[in-house]
Amino acid sequence: MSETGPRVLVVDDEAGIRRVLHASLAAHGYSVREASTGEEALQVVPAFRPDIIILDLGLPGVGGAQVTSSLRDWTQTPIIILSVQGEESTKIAALDAGADDYLTKPFGAGELLARIRAALRRVSQPEGEPVFVTNELTVDLSERVVRLRGEEVLLTPTEFSLLKAFVVHANRLLTHRQLVREVWGGAHYEDSQHLLRVNISNLRRKLEAEPARPHYIITEPGVGYRFRAPGHAASIASGH
Amino acid sequence: MKPVLLGFKMPGELPHNATVNLLARVDGPGHPEARPASSRIERVIQRLAPVDTGWRGAPASLALVGLITIVGQWIRPVIGASNLGILYMLAVIFSALYWGRRVVILSAVSSAVLLDFFFVPPYRSFVADDLWYTITLIGLLTVGLLVSILTVTAKEEARAARQREAQTAALYSFTTSLAEASRLDQVLDAIAHHVPETFHRAIVVLLPGTCGLTVRFRSPELVFDEYENVAAAWVVETGQEAGCGTRQFPGARIRYRPLKTYQGVVGVVGILANHPKELLSIDQQQLLGTFMNQAALAVTRADLAEKAWRAEMLQETDKLQKALLNSISHNLRTPITSVVGVLHSLLEDGVLFDAPTRQHLLETAQDEALKLNRLVQNLLDMSRLEGGAIHVKREPCDVHDVIGAALEQIGEPARKRPISITIAPDLPLVPMDQVLIVQVLVNLTDNALKYSALDTPIEIEARQSHARLQVRVADRGQGIPEEHLARVFEKFFRSSSPDAPRGAGLGLSICKGFVDAHDGQIWAERRMTGGTEVAFSLPLEVER
Repeated sequence: MSETGPRVLVVDDEAGIRRVLHASLAAHGYSVREASTGEEALQVVPAFRPDIIILDLGLPGVGGAQVTSSLRDWTQTPIIILSVQGEESTKIAALDAGADDYLTKPFGAGELLARIRAALRRVSQPEGEPVFVTNELTVDLSERVVRLRGEEVLLTPTEFSLLKAFVVHANRLLTHRQLVREVWGGAHYEDSQHLLRVNISNLRRKLEAEPARPHYIITEPGVGYRFRAPGHAASIASGH
Repeated sequence: MKPVLLGFKMPGELPHNATVNLLARVDGPGHPEARPASSRIERVIQRLAPVDTGWRGAPASLALVGLITIVGQWIRPVIGASNLGILYMLAVIFSALYWGRRVVILSAVSSAVLLDFFFVPPYRSFVADDLWYTITLIGLLTVGLLVSILTVTAKEEARAARQREAQTAALYSFTTSLAEASRLDQVLDAIAHHVPETFHRAIVVLLPGTCGLTVRFRSPELVFDEYENVAAAWVVETGQEAGCGTRQFPGARIRYRPLKTYQGVVGVVGILANHPKELLSIDQQQLLGTFMNQAALAVTRADLAEKAWRAEMLQETDKLQKALLNSISHNLRTPITSVVGVLHSLLEDGVLFDAPTRQHLLETAQDEALKLNRLVQNLLDMSRLEGGAIHVKREPCDVHDVIGAALEQIGEPARKRPISITIAPDLPLVPMDQVLIVQVLVNLTDNALKYSALDTPIEIEARQSHARLQVRVADRGQGIPEEHLARVFEKFFRSSSPDAPRGAGLGLSICKGFVDAHDGQIWAERRMTGGTEVAFSLPLEVER
């Protein structure tokens, strides 16, 4: 197995899961290191310098959310959370603390690999075009023009900021709190919740052919939204 | 008929109490206060003797006699002196009808004296034939007293009849309430309502429970202290009366009666007396005894009913647990068997299979493992629901969002089938726990997909109805038999034909649990055009 591929740190207290992840990741050319506790993970990261961290949320002792916020104090290494259904609040805490994405157990290796690739692309392509193009949608961030199938779509300033946040973080899961922070500055999260829903709803009406089966703005129930753009990985410059 | 008490009293008068009491009794059973417990002999005397009502009516009686005397002066030449005696007798009878013994005697004596003085020669003198005078006096007295006795007897009988009627009515009303009461609290309500109403007393009802004798009802004005509690406990222990007016706990302000049945003492009822003199009369005590017997039977009946209900619940729980174990063991083992089978085959004989077969086996194992995961999730949701661990986190949600997320979660199967989504354009954001309601929609849509033919469409519709969001998921499958519609939300209930896919019977009951947690409603219907429709509704406004 290649020792030169991207380095992945797998943190999970279940040996079986570590073994399966190790095997499938190694098979795809990743260089894998395992840790079984949060403490061990925090020790290993500075020396191993992983390119991405796969972190179980339900670790004994120092939990996944805590590990995330400790790591975010000094590193922006992408973190993908592994959770089980029913851990919504801890999951949101970890995402708000700076985790990049999450997967709900059980998941297929294919899905994990896709998320890893997307996360790695995001960090490897920080520079990009101010114009976002996917299938039928074009978003020109500098000109503030949105076109759908060639026709210009008129957006309110708030809708545009929301869409901008989405395309800047294309394919990445954004929690409600993160979106509110991006668009409204996050001072009044509780009040802005309602505004967020209304603007998402309006944006969908303007962009989606069938708002109840959205193509672009995907709901992650109870967590947040993800802007789906196949082939894109935050290929444009962040405006911040 | 309020007694008019005059300012003068005769020595040797009967206790004033008795007078008032009798008048009160004539009035009806409304004033039980101040009625002494009279012995049987006293009652007999009361019935046979004219009643002493003091000097009430004396002036009127004298005035009547005087009037007859004046009138007599005028008409004596016409009717003769002897006939005037009849007029005086009328005055005495009149007095006997309306007033008591003393007034009767007064009017008889005054009549005899005036008759002698004015109408028996020599006029205006008391000199008369002794015999004549005596006969007149005895005659007037006898008639007066006899009429008085008859009047009192008639009045007493009328009073007794009225009292019996009132008691029967009270008892009837009480037993009717008890007959309608099936639960213990209803029996207590009946006692708490009828006993104070009939006896005009504050009461306390105590029933023995798991943690000793407890007060189950207490009139607000009644003070129930530790001494009273000990007295009540003694009544339960011995089954005898105690408290005010008895030898046991005579210092109590309450009189306690046991509620006794063939099973023993089932409770205690205390009636406030404050003082032994204010105890209930014999009649009332007898009535109270009947009340207590009825109450005791009702308490026993309610108790037995509750025990039977508990036993049934236990049995039902037991049955449920057995069903749960059967269902779980079956539904868990089936996918595990498949997965283990596939892995075993591939490990042992992997080389014997060609690539497509291997692929097929692995896909089967994967499907079964995912099925296992769903079952485990359902079991967890179920136990969270039953353990009360579901906390609804309401946030304003877009219905488009919820339906979209549910379809996204179902994934491939939802993309293969025609699904028509109709959402009313003016729907507001609806407060809900998005995760839970998405789960409800996933379950409903998943059922619709599973229980209808592959090429038939599924309909999802959301609209506003009576200040509620109403969402319906409809398919064109076989439909649920009419008689099963109400039961499909029960745990482990399955209404599928043998060839339909088997489930654990948890999906819909979880949906119901989640919807209930939102103060919503969920129901299933057969569609007129064939197929099943399951709908749920959620309040648009949440009361805080």
